[in-house]
Amino acid sequence: MNNNVIDQSKDITILELLDRVLNKGVILTGDIVISVADIDLVYLGVKLMLSSVETMEQLKKGKTIKES
Amino acid sequence: MSENKILFNTGSLDGLSEEIGKLTNNDESRLKLTPDNADSGLAKLVLTLVELIRKLVEKQAMRRVDGGSLTDEEIERLGETLMKLELKMEELKKHFNLTDRDLNINLGPLGDLM
Amino acid sequence: MEKMIYALLSVKKESDRLDSMLIGMQGISGANLYSLPVDEITAVVSDTTRAGLITDSTNAITFAGVIEALSQEFTLLPMRFGSLMESTGAILKMLERNYPDVQQNLQQVEDMLEFGLKVFCDSEKLRADLMEKSEIGTKTTVLSTPEVKNSVYRDWVNKKLKEHRLEELLLTHVDSVVAAITEHLSRMNAVCKFKKMLTETTIIDALFLLKKDMKTELMQAVGNLQKQYPGLNFVMTGPWPPYNFVEITIK
Repeated sequence: MNNNVIDQSKDITILELLDRVLNKGVILTGDIVISVADIDLVYLGVKLMLSSVETMEQLKKGKTIKES
Repeated sequence: MSENKILFNTGSLDGLSEEIGKLTNNDESRLKLTPDNADSGLAKLVLTLVELIRKLVEKQAMRRVDGGSLTDEEIERLGETLMKLELKMEELKKHFNLTDRDLNINLGPLGDLM
Repeated sequence: MEKMIYALLSVKKESDRLDSMLIGMQGISGANLYSLPVDEITAVVSDTTRAGLITDSTNAITFAGVIEALSQEFTLLPMRFGSLMESTGAILKMLERNYPDVQQNLQQVEDMLEFGLKVFCDSEKLRADLMEKSEIGTKTTVLSTPEVKNSVYRDWVNKKLKEHRLEELLLTHVDSVVAAITEHLSRMNAVCKFKKMLTETTIIDALFLLKKDMKTELMQAVGNLQKQYPGLNFVMTGPWPPYNFVEITIK
């Protein structure tokens, strides 16, 4: 393995990690303070709107893709 | 946290980190509205949504055409309308100096908008 | 001073072990970590400074590192980055209020690990292959009746229809890959989540939650999938704390 490959896999690991820690996990709501420094409000708004579009699509299809 | 978490991969990693980067939050594709770019920022936001809806309509229309329930005349008119919409959209994009890429928003974990 | 919460742990009789583990660790901005227990659930927190509130990768990686280390020893629910509460008292009250939900979520992830599997493809090549195998390329798509003369509009519809059919074909193919993944994992009793067609080249983003001792078997399964689909690129990451398998919004 050359250094370049190691760097790239580290890179991927970090991206995967950031995706999880910033977007997943237990969410606090209500009167609880949430850090909003750096968060682009327009982006967030559009994202929220679209995730509800996605949910609607799934409801229309009558199922979510989830198996156990 | 420098531990390598890749458990399985046989292919090349070239371009892969870039691709994964697209799936996570990155700055470049965010809509940024500031006083200086309010005009083009707003155009970008509005056109992004218009383009999304136009594509949805087009997709739905093709489903109907594929379903075979439309008459020739209906298909003809549908084609005319959608084609004109597409051309109009091209004009608007040119006018505001926007590319297809500009009109796509990276939705982080949701992937690309279009 | 505000408290940042890292994770909610299931701690039964090992609270001493947790506390001694926390002594050797540091939170965001080097802050001390400490535990706030309510019966069998413990929140791991630290005091935060203003610098600790900034969403940057240094802070996020530190945050994730704490969760990662704790997850090696305890069953836990990771908190999303930026979960702050104003005081110790508020956190204890929050734990009491949400106790049954948190307890239930903890039970679901007990001794389980999360793995991510992304499937990439050369989308142009895949499209070309699918096109070749199907009749889209050759078959006249919308049949015009003789009295309707060909028009630009109809040509346009035909072009779009071709694209539409190719997309449908691609989606069917992706579905078959998802089905193959599900089948390969069927004996592992895994909880699976799939997202399809995220970008041009990421055709599947799958998440699995499965028992710790299933890791080798999972890697074997992915190896077999890679053999079955040599044109696709399977990349598996993990093990991760169960970030994607907490189904709870705390009030």
